[in-house]
Formats: sequence, structure tokens, C-alpha cells
Amino acid sequence: MSSSLHKKNTRFYLILLIPAVCLYCLALIGPLFMGTVPSAFYDWNIIKAKRNFIGLGNFMELFRDKQFLTSLVFTLKLGIVTVTLNNIAAFTISYFLNERIFAKGLTRSMFFMPNTIGGIMVSFIWCFLFTNVFPKMFAAAGMESLAQISWFGSGSMAFITIVVAAVWTGSGFLMVLYLAGLQNISTDILEAGEIDGCTGLKKVVMIQLPLLMPTITINLFVSIAGAFKSFDIPYAMTGGGPAGATNTIALNIYRDAFSTYNMGYACAKSVILFVIVMIITCGQLRLTRTKEVQM
Amino acid sequence: MRGMGKKKRRYWIQGTAVLLAGILFMMPVFLIVMNAFKPNAEIMLSFLSFPKSLYLHNFQEAMRLMNFWTAFGNTAVIAVGTVILSVIVSYMAAYGISHLRGKTADRFYLFFVLGQLVSIHTVMVYISVMATRFHMNNTLWGMILIHGGFNSAFGVMTYTGFLKSVPRELEEAAAIDGCSAFQIMTRIVLPLVKPTTMTVSVLYFLWSWNEFLLPSILIGNSDLRPLTVNLNMFKSASGTEWNYLIAGLTLTLIPIFVIYILAQKYITNGMMAGAVKS
Repeated sequence: MSSSLHKKNTRFYLILLIPAVCLYCLALIGPLFMGTVPSAFYDWNIIKAKRNFIGLGNFMELFRDKQFLTSLVFTLKLGIVTVTLNNIAAFTISYFLNERIFAKGLTRSMFFMPNTIGGIMVSFIWCFLFTNVFPKMFAAAGMESLAQISWFGSGSMAFITIVVAAVWTGSGFLMVLYLAGLQNISTDILEAGEIDGCTGLKKVVMIQLPLLMPTITINLFVSIAGAFKSFDIPYAMTGGGPAGATNTIALNIYRDAFSTYNMGYACAKSVILFVIVMIITCGQLRLTRTKEVQM
Repeated sequence: MRGMGKKKRRYWIQGTAVLLAGILFMMPVFLIVMNAFKPNAEIMLSFLSFPKSLYLHNFQEAMRLMNFWTAFGNTAVIAVGTVILSVIVSYMAAYGISHLRGKTADRFYLFFVLGQLVSIHTVMVYISVMATRFHMNNTLWGMILIHGGFNSAFGVMTYTGFLKSVPRELEEAAAIDGCSAFQIMTRIVLPLVKPTTMTVSVLYFLWSWNEFLLPSILIGNSDLRPLTVNLNMFKSASGTEWNYLIAGLTLTLIPIFVIYILAQKYITNGMMAGAVKS
């Protein structure tokens, strides 16, 4: 019965896929494989109206381009720090929320809500805090040295502002997934552990974290992919400054393409970004998948 | 008995402590909203105090400077259009995939899943070139189509996961009763996946409401710009007039919070269900 129903309608099911495949090709597959990848081999500038094939020329230049290399290092650094802090913050919050406690739903919402706010808005909120609120708060508390800090004046301070904003908005999403994972761990295991004297931090490290490996895999995947796409927050908070100290690759591509119109060069950078994200996410998936515990 | 007491104590003490931490976490938002009702001098004097009176001038001025209602309308059209298009397209595709057999279904599924690895930044250069060529720049429908393409990967994945749990017998019974394949899809199965539809719609809405990069590349015409782009221009133009800027920020945030509060159970529950399944 079921197979005859299936056979009769195969064409119908295939037709259903057409709109999604078309839109998907229009937005992603087309621009990537017919646009970005081939154009990376051209010296192409829209304003100067030139488009010459130069083979690997763009890529050769990339490795000598100090600005690009700085942004590459910065993106990696920002990625490592935000992914780590995001996951630690998200796990800690979910750990304390994973009990029968008072006002749990409300508290969960408080921690999740920043995740619904877009990067541009998040940046402005934190710009306001770092430029107006914190200096006065530290001054009022008598911590003059902290009050004097010019948060957007030096590269390392600007880096901190970006990380704070990114973790504030990013951890809520991961928290919900950790919470789901923690609730999935059977209470039998935890109680058996407690009887054997496995409580507190020991319980977290010996029981909960190993059993959370599937969730950790997903969360690392989500947060790593997200970290390399960071554009809105650095763009709106520091604009890549001071002096290019907080330029991410995405910001770098944006500048090339939309202020100097070096399209070919920007496409070459895009290809590098794409390859890096692919390598890191695939590597991470392999690494954490092998650590998963089968119950 | 002692165990009960300990549990009860934890219920209140840990609950209160975590709630206070949550309030502290949301403090930045509270500060923004609170200060939006103050004149600039009052903000500079004390950002922590409650506003002395409801000073609405900030909002009037912010609305004027941000061209608020036009931008609000554009954002709303883009967000609603994106939700409708993306939901229809991803439901159809996921329905097709979950009903096809064998390798074809797997290949199509993988095709969409891999799309999640492609970020908008790797293709933005060419999207802008392509949009100009096809006259999609400076149009709201162009934005909606491209959003639809980017969203389909997530929607197809979420719907496919959920459609697996819909019993096939139900569809077969409907077919015997004379329902066409199209009717089964729209009248029998669609109502069953309503929770997923809600989750996906809310997330699509928030994503397009918050989107900044794509409209800043594709839309140059000031009458078609969405809120995020106007807010950003307003910030670079106004510099230190924080009272206007945070009033504008508050106005942009309100719809997000309204949607979140109305639909929060769909967001978190949907995410948790999805996480457990995968």
C-alpha cells in the first residue's frame, strides 16, 4: 500500500522540491560556484571596469597582504576566545537552571533574550555601556584606573568589548541546547553517582560532561560557524579599529568589495574564508564525534 | 525529612540567586529602555536612576531622524514576506524529501544541510553583482527572495526531522478516503506540524528583522532601507547624542521583545526538540 502511494506520487514529491532548490541556488550555490570561486582568479574592479584572468595572482598577493593576514589572525583569536567563553557561560547557566527552582521559566527567558537581538542593536547597547555607563560606574566606585580606560582606544581593549558583546548575545542559544542535553541525562545515573560519592564538581566532570558530548558537538559546531561569520558586532562597535586591530575577515572582504571595489580580490578572500570554515567545522565534528559516549 | 528541607531550600535560594543573575544579565537592556525616557543632561548626570518624568521628546526626535515609519514598514514587509515565502518553500521541500525514497532523498537532504556551512560573507560580493544585473537591488522582493534562499537550509532540516514522526498510516487512510496528494500535504499533515511551523516562523521573523549586512549591500534607496540600516546611519551621524540614539534603539527592539514574549514557548521548545532529535 504505502509503496504504491509512494510510486504514484514520486513526480509530485520531486516537483515540491523545485522552489526551494531554485531559491537556494539563487542565493547560495549560484553565487558561490558560478560567481565567487571563478572570480577569485580574475583581476576584477567594477569602478575601473577591468576583468582580466590572472590565475592564482590574487591568492599569491593574499599571502603578502599584511592587512589580510592580521585580520585572519584576529578572526582566529576572536573565534577561539568567543567559542570558549560562550560555551563555558552557556554550560554554567544551564547547570544552575537544571534543577527544580523558583521562577525557572522567567530566568531562562532573561538569559535567552539577548540572543533575539540583532548584532547591530547589541553593538549599540554595549557602545553605550562602555562609553557612558562603565566609566562613571568605576569612577563612582573609586576605581580610577578602570574609569580612565578608553575602551575603544586600544586594540586589546576594543577586543574585550567585542568579546563581551558577542558572548552576551551568543550564549543564550547554546544555553538552551545545553539545558536540553542536561535534562536528557537520566536521574538514575546521577543518583547512582551520588551514592558512590560523586557530587559537586566531580559529578559535572565525571558524569555530566561526558554524557553531554553530543550536545557539545552541536554547540561547538554552531558557535564555531558563528564565530567566523562575525561581522555585525565588529563592524558596528569598532569598525575594525583602532588602526585595523579588530578587523575580521568578513569585514575585510566587505571593505574590498564595497569601498575599493576590488571584486576579484574580495572573492579570493571569500574562497579562503569558505575553505577555513569547512576545514575547522569538519575537523571539529570528527574530533568530538569520537569522544561521544554511547549509552 | 531533612532531604525535603534541603530541596525546598535549594528551590528558593538557588532560584533567587539565578534569577538575580538573570536580571543582571538583562541589565544592559533595562538601562537602555530606562534612559531612553530621559533628556541627555539627565542621562549624563545619572544613568541608573529611574526617569523623573516620561520625557517623550527623544522618541519623537529619533523617529524623525531615523525616518522611522518608512523604515519600520520596509522591515515589516521584508520580515513578513520572508516568513511566508521561506515557510512555504521549506515545508514543501521537506515534505518532498521525507516522502521520497532512498538515495534521492538523502542527496537532496545533504544538499540543503551543507548549505548551512556557507555564510553570507562568502557570497555577498557576488550577490551584490548578481542583484544589480537582475535588477533585484533596491527592491524589497529581492531581499525576500535571497532571505528565502538562505533560510531554506534551516527550514528543510527542521521540518524533515519533524515530518519523520508523523505516522504514514494517517496519510494512507486519507488517500483511501479520496484525498489527493496535495490535499494530504496541506489538509492532513500541515496542521500536525503546526508547532514546527511556529518555531520556524518566529526564528525567520527575528532573523530578517535583525538582518543588517544584506540590506546595507542591496538597498541604496533611502525610502526602502530597513530599521537596522537607518539605525546604523543615525549612529554615525549623531555621534554623541545618546538620548536620541537609545530612543531609536528602544523602538527597534520593542517588536523583537513583543514577538519573543508572545512566542517564547515555540522558540525554546522548538529548539530543544530539534536538539534532542539530532
